[in-house]
Amino acid sequence: MATQTRSLQTSEAYQQMSRVADALLTPEIEEFKAEGGRVVGFFCSTVPEELFTAAGMLPFRMRGTGSTSTELADSCFTPINCTFPRHCFNQALSGEFEFLDALIVINSCDHVRRIYDNWIDQLDEPEFVHIMSLPRKTGERQVQWYREDIALLKEKLEAQFDLEISNDAIRDAIRLHNEVRRLQRELYELRKVDRPPITGAEALRVMVAGTALPRADYKEMLEEVLTDVRGLEVGDDYRARVLVVGSELDSPEFMEVIEGQGALVVTDATCFGTRLMWECVDEDEPDPIRALAQYYVADRPSCPRMHGDQPRRLDFIRELVDEFKVDGVIGERMNFCDMWQVEHFMTGGDLKGEGIPFIQLDREYILSGRGQLQTRVQAFVETLKGTD
Amino acid sequence: MTATIDLAAKKLSIERYMQERDWFLVLAEAAKAMPGAEGELNVKMFDILLDAKQAVVDCVNNDEPFIGGYFCNAPELFHAMDLPWFMVMETPFMASSAPHLADDIEGSVAMGLGTDLCTAVRLPAYYINSGMMPVPSAVLGLLSPCDAAPMLSQIMQHDKVWKDVPLYCCDPPYTGDDRAVQYFAEELHLMVAFLEEHTGRTLDVEKLKVVCEESNQTYALWQDYNELRRNVPCPHGWEIGGAQAFAISQCFVAGDPRCTAWFEQLYDCGEAKVKAGQGANLADGWEEKIRLFWFDIMPYGWIYEFMPWLEEEWGAVIVMDMFSNFPYTLLDTTSEDTIFQGLAKRNLLDAPMIRQARGTAENFSNDIRRVVKDYKIDCVIWPGHMGHKDGAATTGIMRQTCREIGVPFLHIGLDLFDSRYTSVDEVKDKVSEFFAGMGLG
Repeated sequence: MATQTRSLQTSEAYQQMSRVADALLTPEIEEFKAEGGRVVGFFCSTVPEELFTAAGMLPFRMRGTGSTSTELADSCFTPINCTFPRHCFNQALSGEFEFLDALIVINSCDHVRRIYDNWIDQLDEPEFVHIMSLPRKTGERQVQWYREDIALLKEKLEAQFDLEISNDAIRDAIRLHNEVRRLQRELYELRKVDRPPITGAEALRVMVAGTALPRADYKEMLEEVLTDVRGLEVGDDYRARVLVVGSELDSPEFMEVIEGQGALVVTDATCFGTRLMWECVDEDEPDPIRALAQYYVADRPSCPRMHGDQPRRLDFIRELVDEFKVDGVIGERMNFCDMWQVEHFMTGGDLKGEGIPFIQLDREYILSGRGQLQTRVQAFVETLKGTD
Repeated sequence: MTATIDLAAKKLSIERYMQERDWFLVLAEAAKAMPGAEGELNVKMFDILLDAKQAVVDCVNNDEPFIGGYFCNAPELFHAMDLPWFMVMETPFMASSAPHLADDIEGSVAMGLGTDLCTAVRLPAYYINSGMMPVPSAVLGLLSPCDAAPMLSQIMQHDKVWKDVPLYCCDPPYTGDDRAVQYFAEELHLMVAFLEEHTGRTLDVEKLKVVCEESNQTYALWQDYNELRRNVPCPHGWEIGGAQAFAISQCFVAGDPRCTAWFEQLYDCGEAKVKAGQGANLADGWEEKIRLFWFDIMPYGWIYEFMPWLEEEWGAVIVMDMFSNFPYTLLDTTSEDTIFQGLAKRNLLDAPMIRQARGTAENFSNDIRRVVKDYKIDCVIWPGHMGHKDGAATTGIMRQTCREIGVPFLHIGLDLFDSRYTSVDEVKDKVSEFFAGMGLG
């Protein structure tokens, strides 16, 4: 197939996704709600969003997009708290999440889990606010624990909203979400070539949009995007291929700063990236709730909160480095995150020991310190092999 | 797999540990200068502490089994299994006033762990990484109450020597209902099986019952003693009885008659002072003016620079702190099952810091309400330790709770183990401004 100069900006599906990724309340959500649909906000990629789709709800992954300040939230949090929950909660206190019909928090980290406590302390809406208990280990007992926790959430949702979430509906939802994952992975596969059709920032917009749209609609859009990107190539001004590993990264602008310094982000290991879709939920498991528990506790690429899994996480990065012909790894970390501080200490050391360049970039949730970031990335790119 | 280290490495592994022991010897000598029953209590506490440390040193030197663990791993089980143990975070918790600490904190920064990771985690990480921690036969990790503590377990697994030390971590549910307690009790059973496998020691349930009954006596005395602290003036302050009670009952000899005997003496000492109407400080003209709830670990890194000042300058007495707090119920020793249920509840829901920080935030509020009421507290200080990020995110809730019950609340922002984060003078200034502004003292 003949390649074309870049024209992704003319893809209607991509433009729609970009718009969704850059906002919280979108026309798509308004339309969904106008038709009687309910929206469930949830924090962290370990919440089984399939359950909400099975309930006919729209799973909306919480983020602080558009926030410029934390001044309202700072009466609840302190300066040693991560700015992600501070911005999100500020948005909540500002009324930006009034479109939610339910909120699910999980004990993902010290900062995010306290959103639950502050939310129920400060806000009356939505009426249904629930916190899940995700284990720290990844064994069979923990899968069973989380299975019970998901079942408990299902019961509470059914009671709260007077609905039934059948096993068949959960199976259907698992199939739909898996299909989305396969398509997203297909998009990532296209990034393995020397001149991929899509940048890291664009790919992130596509991924973020996938957490804020009814998944069936998103699947159709994603298929269009896949059609639109085939045959495209990024420009030839990239001097290195990098992988970004880290946490809750929903900022395409952060990726743009990296890519603006000549480092093309060809893949990632983040909570809005491969961690969402590199594996699929087992569709053949007779108990679909157990299948969800197995996936979210044990099977998906884990994050550092899961104890004892660092060797598997390292293997995953090695695999991505190899498959995507990565020249260097960027470890992003939001300030005051203990888990990623230690994880990058371990994994960064391991990668460097194997001759894979690694740099840790600490950041705030909203892009700040752009000049410093540019300088550090620029210096890192200069050190990568293959760069002149 | 068991870690094997050569003689030089073995010597290095206990060098710091022995330096800490020697530091405690210095403190023990100083304690002897304290007059009366309180001096005796201090001396006995140091004796117990030093014996526990020596037992670990002996195990290292004689290649006998010992373990690393935490107070919230149900230490009654270790005692029943005759397993000497040390707390992996022992240095920050107990010895962070030692002279070498500043250098070690610098070492942890140089290691690459940054400066915003909890010092209580960075220090043991540094000791592990630099071969300066006793290498146990097996180690128990901690997967709560914060994000940093579990990462220490992952650092162990990642270390070139410690990766061969068998590691087990009880998985703590976030909830605190019956399902959670039952689940955690099963985790404790698995922990015992792990310890049996890797140390060669076995758990005799009859012995465990004896240990737990002894532990109950200890805890009953602790509860009675805490009742004495309700009195105005409070018979003891920061130095005697409070955090010591936690250390004695949960860190050194849980379920041991020596522990019970110490509490009996503590109770008698407190009771005598209450009857005599004596307060925490017996200096001429001293008067208790402010009854304080210090809602965290004591500032062990600079405790001697700060706590005496509180009492002497302001007449402010630490009537209660997070670790002196007593939310416990006694263990039902009817059967193995009831014992494990009780240990699960104690170690999942009640142990200090775990109780407040592991799960949802209601225990921050509940404890403030109960302690303020029961102990006639004049003000609450949440020190705001740099590692306690979940607590930092609960500051608004604590402030609101205090506002509702009409008691002043102060959040400082400091490092309990490293006074360079916020200097002692700065802490004193903030506290003084707070007291003065609130009309206290």
